[in-house]
Amino acid sequence: MERKFEYKTNLWIDWCPGCGNFGILTAVVRAFEELGLDPSKTVIVSGIGCSGKISHFVNVNGVHILHGRAIPTAMGIKLARPDLTVVVHGGDGDLLGIGAGHFVALGRRNIDMVVIMHNNGVYGLTKGQASPTLPLGVKTKALAKINLQQAVNPIMLALASGYTFVARGYAFEGAHLKDLIKMAIQHKGAAFVDVLQPCVTFNDVYTSEFYRKSIYKLDEDGGWDPVVKHVDEFRDKLLKAIEKSLEWGDKIPIGVFYINEYIPTYEERLSKRLVVYPTSNPSSSTIEVRGRPILTQEEFEEIFKEFIVDISSSVS
Amino acid sequence: MKDISIIIGGPQGAGLETSMAILGRALVRKGYGIIADREYFSNITGRHSYIHMLVSSVRLPRSIKYPVELVASMDPETIFTHFTDISDKGILIYDKGHSNKKIDDISSMEDITKKRIKEVIIRHGIEPSVSSLLNYLEREKDITLVGIDFNSLLRKVIERYRVDPRQVSRYVSGILISAISTLIGLEEDFIRYSFEQQFRGKEHLIEQNMTIFGMVRDSLADFRNIARLDEPSIKLHKAFIATGNDIVAIAKIVAGVRYQSYYPITPAADESFLIEKYEYTEVGGKSLGPIVVVQTEDEIAAVNSAIGASLTGVRSSTATSGPGFDLMVEGLSWAGANEVPIVITYYQRGGPSTGQPTRGSQSDLLNAVFAAHGEFARIVLSSGDHVEAFYDTVEAFNMAEKFQVPVIHLLDKFLANTIATIPVPEVGRVSVDRGITSLGGRDYKRFDLSRVISHRAYLGTDDTVMWYAGDEHDEYGHIVEDPENRVKMYSKRIEKMKIILEQVPSDLKVTIYGDEDPDYVVVGWGSVKGVVLDAIDVLSEKLKLMYVNVKLLWPFPANEFLGIVKGMPRDRLIAVEHSYGVNITSLISMTTGIIIDRRVMKYTGRPITLNELVSALERVALMNEERVVLTYGA
Repeated sequence: MERKFEYKTNLWIDWCPGCGNFGILTAVVRAFEELGLDPSKTVIVSGIGCSGKISHFVNVNGVHILHGRAIPTAMGIKLARPDLTVVVHGGDGDLLGIGAGHFVALGRRNIDMVVIMHNNGVYGLTKGQASPTLPLGVKTKALAKINLQQAVNPIMLALASGYTFVARGYAFEGAHLKDLIKMAIQHKGAAFVDVLQPCVTFNDVYTSEFYRKSIYKLDEDGGWDPVVKHVDEFRDKLLKAIEKSLEWGDKIPIGVFYINEYIPTYEERLSKRLVVYPTSNPSSSTIEVRGRPILTQEEFEEIFKEFIVDISSSVS
Repeated sequence: MKDISIIIGGPQGAGLETSMAILGRALVRKGYGIIADREYFSNITGRHSYIHMLVSSVRLPRSIKYPVELVASMDPETIFTHFTDISDKGILIYDKGHSNKKIDDISSMEDITKKRIKEVIIRHGIEPSVSSLLNYLEREKDITLVGIDFNSLLRKVIERYRVDPRQVSRYVSGILISAISTLIGLEEDFIRYSFEQQFRGKEHLIEQNMTIFGMVRDSLADFRNIARLDEPSIKLHKAFIATGNDIVAIAKIVAGVRYQSYYPITPAADESFLIEKYEYTEVGGKSLGPIVVVQTEDEIAAVNSAIGASLTGVRSSTATSGPGFDLMVEGLSWAGANEVPIVITYYQRGGPSTGQPTRGSQSDLLNAVFAAHGEFARIVLSSGDHVEAFYDTVEAFNMAEKFQVPVIHLLDKFLANTIATIPVPEVGRVSVDRGITSLGGRDYKRFDLSRVISHRAYLGTDDTVMWYAGDEHDEYGHIVEDPENRVKMYSKRIEKMKIILEQVPSDLKVTIYGDEDPDYVVVGWGSVKGVVLDAIDVLSEKLKLMYVNVKLLWPFPANEFLGIVKGMPRDRLIAVEHSYGVNITSLISMTTGIIIDRRVMKYTGRPITLNELVSALERVALMNEERVVLTYGA
C-alpha cells in the first residue's frame, strides 16, 4: 500500500493575509504530495526573510539557515547524503542580493537540487526596501525615494550560470506552479524556479492585478520547446531562453525556459573520480568500529607510506 | 658534530620546497631527526625564500636556532640576506658565477631591506658586493667558502641529457642538496633513496640528479666531510616526516572526516589538497572514504556547506586562516545556535587584513575565542607540535560530536609549513566517539530540553523529521520567541561549557613540562612549545623552569591552571607568544584573575628561535626585564 504523508505542520502561518507565499506553500505541498516524497528523505533549506519561514510550515526536514546561505548549506547536505531530495527556498534579496555568489556557483556545479525563489521585488521582513529584482526608477510605497539600482534578470542569470532547468511561475497560478516544482524536483541537475509573488504590504507596483494582466504561459505558444533534445541544440535553446527572459512589463512569460539534461551533475562528476559515489557516500560509509578508527596500524602505514621512512640502520 | 643548523636560500619557485623534502627524507633515512621551517613571500616566482633547518644525530629536534653552521645559497640575495646568520667558522656554499654581483643589482630584494643590509655591510667596512662579502667572511669570521660553478655543472646536464636550457634551473636545487650531503657526510645511498621516493616512476630525473650528485661530490673533494655529522643514535626504526598541514589532513582521514570544504587560502589550502588526494582508498579489502572535498566559492559557503554535511551525520570540517575565518563567523554562530558539530581548522597567519599572508603568528587567539555574535559554547583547541596536532585533530571531531558544538582547532603557519620528524602516529591510541545519537522516530525533538546535550539524529533518518533554525527555537527546532523557552534554550547551549570542562581529559586541557619545583613558570600555547622546551633544557644549569602548555583555550581550564601555578608569585610567571599582546594573558586574567606582566613576544612573522628565547628568558628571570620583544630572522 502506498504510504500517505501529512505535508503540512500545524503551525500558525504568520505571513500577511493575501501574501504570495501562501500560493507557493500550497504548490510545494501539492507537488510533494503528488510525488509522494518521504518527509524523512526530503529537506527544505531556507534563507532569511518572510520566505525563509516556509521550512517550518512543511512537514519535511527543515533547515532554516542564515541569510543568503541556503544554497551552500543545501550543497553540504546533498553531497554528504545524495539520496535526499533537497529544495532551497529563498527570497530575491536572499538569493540574488546577499547570496548571489552562491546562486552562480550552484549553476556551475549543477548539483541535483531545486532552488525556488520567492520573488516579490522587496525586502519584506525589514519593511519593504528595494530588492535586486526591483527595476531602476521604481518607487514602491515603502521607499522614500525611487530605486537607483538596476534589477538583475534572474532567469538570464540562472541561464548564464549553468542551471540546467530554468522556469518561472506565478504564486497564484497554483496548478501551473505545482507542475513546475514537480518538474524541477524530477529534473536531474540544478533546477531554478523564479516565482513571481505579490507583496501585499510593501510592493504596490508589482501587485496581483499587475501580474494578472501581464503574465502569459509559455506553453500556450505551441511552438515553444525549451528542452535540449540533442547535445547540438544546446546553444540554440539557450539563446532562445535568454531572448525570452528579456520579456518584461506588459507581457511576462511563465513556464519552462530551458531544460538541458546533457550536462553532468556534480554528483556524476564526482563519481568519475570517487567510483563508489554516490552508492557509497559520506553518510553511508563507516568511520569507526567499536569506538576505534577503521584502519589498523598496518593499513595506516600502507596508505600513508609516502610519509614514512624506514630508518636504514634498522632496515639493514 | 651532534647537530647542524642549515639555511638553504634562493628565489621562490626554484625548488626549495622539493629540496627540503628530498634532503629531509635522506637525512631521516640515515636516522637523523630534522625540523625545517620554510620562509617565503606572498609570491610565486622570484622573491627570496629559504629553508631553516636543524638536523640532529641525537634527538628529534623541536626548534630552530641562529646562528647556523651552514648557509647554502642559490643566489646572491641569499648571501646578502643571511651572511650575518652564519656562525664563526661556519660554511657558505655559493655559486662562483655570482661573485661579481652587487647588492644594487638585486631587483627582487625589497628596497627597505636592501638599504638596511647595505648599511650593515658598509658599517663592517666592506663593499656591498658578493666578492668583498666573501672576503670578509673568510678573513674575519673564518668561514669556509665552498664555491661551485653552477653554470658549468648545468651545461654538462644540458649536454648529457639534452635538457631544454630553459628548464635547467630546476636542477639547481639538486646541486645544493648534493653539496650539503658531501659536506656533512651523508652518503650517496640515502640521497638516491630520497630521489627515488620523490621522483617515483620518473627514472630520468633520478638518474640526472644522481649524476649531479656525483659531479658535485667530485668537485668538492677538498670539502668532503668538513662538517661531518656524528652517526645517528636516535632509537627509531621508522619515522614520520610531514608538514603540519599534512599531519592534520592525515589525522582528519583517520578520524573519519567525510566532508571537507575550503576556499583557497595560505597557509591552509595544502591540507585540503592532501585530503583530496586520499578521497577514496582501498586497502586490504577495506574502503576508506569516500571523502567529498569541495572547493567552494568563498569561506561563507565553506562553513555553511560543512554545517549542511554535518547535519546528515558525517564528520565535517573546513580549513582556513584569519581572513577566511572572519567570513565564517556568522556560520559559526549558526552552528552554535543549532548545536552542530563541525571542526574549523584555523591556521593563523600575520594580520590584520591581508597582513603577512605567508608569515606566522598567534595573534588570532581572541578572534578564535570570541568572534561571533551572541553567547554559545564553542571549543578552541590548540596543538603544540606535530605529534599533538595529529591526536588533537581526531579529538577535535570527538569533542565536536560529543558536546555538539563547533570546534576551532587553532594552529598557525609555523606548524602548517614546518616539516618535522616524529614517531609514526599510533592509530591504536585514538578513539572515535560519535556522542549521543538517536534513531529519531515520530515526535523526535532535536533540541530535547530534558538534557543539556540532546540525542542527535541525522537528517535522512527513517521516519524522522526535524527542524533547525537560526532563530531561537523550541525543542523541535521551530521558531519561538517565548521568554521561558528562550531562557531554557539559551542556558542549555551555554551550560555545555561546564560539561566540557568536566569531561575533557586533563591532558587535552593543559600539559606541563620541565621542573616540578620551578623558579619561573613559562606559559604559552601552540607552536611556542618546542622552542620553550629546548630553552628550558639549555637554561637548566642556571634556572629551574616549568612550561605550561595550554591546549584547551576555550572554555579556559581555569581550575587546572590555578592548580599548577598555586603558590607561585605572579612575577614568576612569564608568557610567550607570537603576537604583540601576548593575548593568552588576557584569557588567563579574565578566567583566573592572575595578571601576567612578564612577557616575551615576537611579531615579525618569523618563528621564535632558540637563541633569542634563551636570552629573553634570561633577561626576564635574571635581569628583571618585564617585556622582551624578539626580532631575529630574515
